[in-house]
Formats: sequence, structure tokens, C-alpha cells
Amino acid sequence: MARTSTSSHPAVAVRGLERAFKGGIKAVDGLDLEVREGEIYGFLGPNGAGKTTTVRMLVTLLRPTAGQALVAGHDVVTEADAVRRNIGVALQEAAIDPLMTGRELLRMQGALHGMRGGEARRRSEDLLERVGLTDAGDRRVGQYSGGMRRRLDLAMALVHRPKVLFLDEPTTGLDPTSRNALWREVRGLNADGTTVFLTTQYLEEAEQLADRVGIIAGGSLVAEGTPGELKARVGEPTLNVHLAEGADVPAAREALAAVGPLVENQDGGCVAIRAARGQATVPVAVRVLDDAGIAVESLEVVSPTLDDVFAAVTGSTLEGAAQSRDPDASAEAVA
Amino acid sequence: MSTALHGGVLVIAVAAREARVVAALGRRALSVQFRRAQLLMPTFVLPLLLLAVIASGTSAGRNLKDFPDVSSYLGFVVAGTLLQGALLAGLTAGIALASDIEGGFFDRLLAAPVRRSSLVFGRLAGTLGLAVLQMTWFLLVALLFGASYPGGVLGAAGAAVLAALTAVGIGGLACAIAIRTGSMNLMQSIFPLVFVLLFTAPAFFPRDLLTPTLHDLSAYNPLTYVVEGARGLLQDDAGLGDPWLGLAAAVGLAIFSTALATLALRDRARRT
Repeated sequence: MARTSTSSHPAVAVRGLERAFKGGIKAVDGLDLEVREGEIYGFLGPNGAGKTTTVRMLVTLLRPTAGQALVAGHDVVTEADAVRRNIGVALQEAAIDPLMTGRELLRMQGALHGMRGGEARRRSEDLLERVGLTDAGDRRVGQYSGGMRRRLDLAMALVHRPKVLFLDEPTTGLDPTSRNALWREVRGLNADGTTVFLTTQYLEEAEQLADRVGIIAGGSLVAEGTPGELKARVGEPTLNVHLAEGADVPAAREALAAVGPLVENQDGGCVAIRAARGQATVPVAVRVLDDAGIAVESLEVVSPTLDDVFAAVTGSTLEGAAQSRDPDASAEAVA
Repeated sequence: MSTALHGGVLVIAVAAREARVVAALGRRALSVQFRRAQLLMPTFVLPLLLLAVIASGTSAGRNLKDFPDVSSYLGFVVAGTLLQGALLAGLTAGIALASDIEGGFFDRLLAAPVRRSSLVFGRLAGTLGLAVLQMTWFLLVALLFGASYPGGVLGAAGAAVLAALTAVGIGGLACAIAIRTGSMNLMQSIFPLVFVLLFTAPAFFPRDLLTPTLHDLSAYNPLTYVVEGARGLLQDDAGLGDPWLGLAAAVGLAIFSTALATLALRDRARRT
């Protein structure tokens, strides 16, 4: 998914970053992270974890009280203008003037990035087409739906072809169709070479989009890695075998024990084993059960989720995870 | 030599780029103003309502012994309307900026690679454009209702320029407050201050007819010199006010307040 890095410096490099507010409260406390050029980095955490404060520091809207952050090779404090030239920013809630039209906003954004009239006009039309808003370009943004506003917000962040794109909870409040459309767009941008720093409180979003995920809690990074790596740290997948009514449970346990270590504390009609080889465990299990003459109702391989990772590293579950996750996305069901 | 030339070209390129930014922000400020009915009412209608009340209710003041000999009473008091329009145009600049800050749009501007001063200049460019339209509108409406301008088109244009520059000056002050506070409610609550500034200047009466206290107070109000200068231009009578003194007051206020707003923005950037 990620592009091959061609630059000597990471897209984002953060060392000991801190931000304290009045009363000494530290919203971000000694944050270290690195985002490679060309990757999508998912910055995952619940509300109040410090995601937005971090992003605001990285996009030069907030000064760190300690530590250092480099974006596109430039210091966010001492080279703020150079950072601004290299980044695109779509902050939470798509703060867009509702009285302006989409076309006007894109052209204004072009002017803010030094484009002349003709260039800004051409770029605006290209972007309106890219995000599917050409027909709505002359309508005031106040009449746009939430998804349209988000797409326009994204387009505005892309006007100057930024190297690093910061998306702060881009799909919060969007319906599934709009969310999927935005995800497609983000994947497309990344494929074109844009590094994406994506904050989200949605596990599925991080799983779907991110090459690597950093989990922030209490202002610090508590875990980091690819979604697969993070989940592997929590544990191996489990194969749950739901036996048909009246099946011989002890015989099934004996047969399946030959395939993988048994997992205890299962319901009466279910036998579970560790499935280190994931889906590849299924045909083996089916074969041994068939050989033993045991009838099966269904089988499923359940992998650890990022929520499990989050729970393991923070001791709590991620707020909002339940409503964001598709019921069929967390487990790879095979019947 | 080539280094100096390169430096010069760079400076021109940066200036041209910032000019484009200011123009874009000014265009936005002006066009959005006309899409907000709640801002059009105070800027284009309210001053004319007050003008109608003043012109019809106090025209007998013209018979007072010390009232200057002018061609039309409406032509005399319309200078006060220009000043009121300037005050309201300036205040709406602050309200609109506070709205941008509260709504998060200002963050988008701050995240762009532009000079902080350009963000202030852009907002005030919109105020300047608005004020020019306002002043033209006020002068034409008053003309339709019988005002006369012995100073002619040039005098009227000069008065409009003085008032428009004053709008920029007031706009700078309003923007400085908006940047410091980021509160639209607070900006709206200082609306009555417009009338304090207006009536501590000889907006609708000659300074000599003000009460002694107000007379003394008005000498410290820079708007006094603006309104008198505008009146002098409209009536082509330097005895009513010195246009150059008015210009100095308007330009001085504009420079002072724009600097104040720019410093407020820089300070905000340091604090946040």
C-alpha cells in the first residue's frame, strides 16, 4: 500500500513533543513518532487522548511547549512557513465558510498558496471533478451535505499538491456511503504519492486505510506498528468450531487438539483452538472432524482486533469503536 | 550585482504573491458581506434611517445663530452619516473575523503559507471596498432627497475616501479586539460604542453648538477631524473643516489600528 520512500528524511518526525495548557495540564506528553514518506499513518485514540492537539502542533497552529517536530523536513516552530507550504490540512468538523461556494473556496485556497488566477481556476475545476462536486461547485457550502463538505474540505487541502496531508477525524459523522467514498479518495491520493497522517477514533478506519497505526492515550504513544503487527502482539487468531446438536464434544476436543492448542472456557457446543496459521487451519480442522465423524454447524476464525490491542495497551476499550465497526469486519467467518 | 538583482526579483515576487492573497481575502470579505442580511441592515440601512430622523427632526437647528451658512441641511448632516457608516463597516469587519475564528475558518487561513499581516490586510481590503460602496450609496440617496454638494463630484469623492479610510481604521481596531478575544458575542456587544464615538464627534452639529463638555471631549476624538474634513469637502468650505487634517486623522487611525491588529495576530500565534 505504501509507496517506496525516495527522500532521506521522514515525512513527520516527532521527538519528546509536549503541549501543556493552563494549569499545567499536558494534552500531549513526551510524544515520539515517525511517519515514513508515502505511507498512511493512522493516529488512533479516544476523544481527549491528544490526537487533535498533536495535529494542531504538526500543522503549525499550536506551539509545542517542549520537544521537536519536523514535517517534510522542516521544524514546525522555526520553519513554520516552509511546513505550511508542504502540508495540506483538513481539520475536524470541516470548518468551511457556509456563505461561499465550493468553487470560490477552492480558488481562494489557490490564491492563499500563491497561485495566479488562471492556475487557481484550472486546479479548482480539476479538484471539483476529482471529488465529484463539479455540478455543486456554484452552490453555497451551507447547502452541502456533510459528505460533500468533507470532500470539499479534502479538495481544499489538496489545492497545492501537498507532500503531507493531515486529516483530522475526516469521517466523523458521515454515513457509510460518504465514508467509503472518502476512503477511496484517501487511498487514491496515497497511491499518487501523498503521505497521509490520519487521526481517527474509528478502528475500522485505521484498519482499512493505515499502513501503520500509532495508538495514543493520555497524550503519549502507547503502541505503534502495522495493524497486523499490533494484533499479533495481542495473540494468535482463534478457530471457533460450533458443533451440531448432539455431537460428541469430548471427541471433538480430542480431534481438534491435534490441530492446535485448545482454548479453554468455551460454551458447551463450541470447541476453540489457537489458529496460528489463520484461515489455513480451517481445512485441516474440517478434515480431522470429518475423519472422527463429528458433525459441525459452523466454523469461524476470529482474529484479534485493534480494539483488543487498544484494550491490551491501555486497559480500556476505544470509545466509539462499537458503532464504527461493521459486525462482519472483525471476524473472518467461514461456515 | 547579480545577488542584489536576484534579491530584488525575490522581493517583488513575494510582494506580488501577498498582494494576490490580500485581493483574494478582500474579495471574499466583501462578497460574503452581501450574503449576510444581518450585516447589510446596519451597514447600508441603519445610517440612512438615522439620517432621516436627524434631517427631519433637527433641521430647525439650521436657524440657530451659530449654525454655519450651508446650501442644504441634508448636505451638512450627511457627513455624519458617512462617519456612522464607516464605524459600522469597521465593526462588522471585527464581527466577521470573530465569526471566522469561532467557526474554525480562521485556522484554515493560519495554516496557509502567507504573512500574518496579509490576513489582516485582506480583511481590511474588504472593509475598504464595502465602505466605498456604502459612501457612494449614502451620498446618492441624500442627493435624491435634496442634499446639495457645492464641492462637486471631487468633493464628494474626497469625503467618501476620508470615510472609507476611517472604516479601515475602525476595522483595524475591531479586528484587533476580535483576534484578542475570538468572541463574536463580545464583538456584537460593543455595537453601542459606535454611537458613543459618533456623538462625541460633531457628526450632525457644528462643534461650536455642542455643550462645553462635549466640545472639549470632541477635540480628542480623531473622528471629529474626519467628519469636519468631509463636511468641508462636501460643502467646499474650509471653514467647516480642514480636509487635510481629516485625512491625517483617518490615515493615522488606519495605520495605528492595522498595526495593532497585526501585532494582536502575531501575539495570538505566540500564545497558541
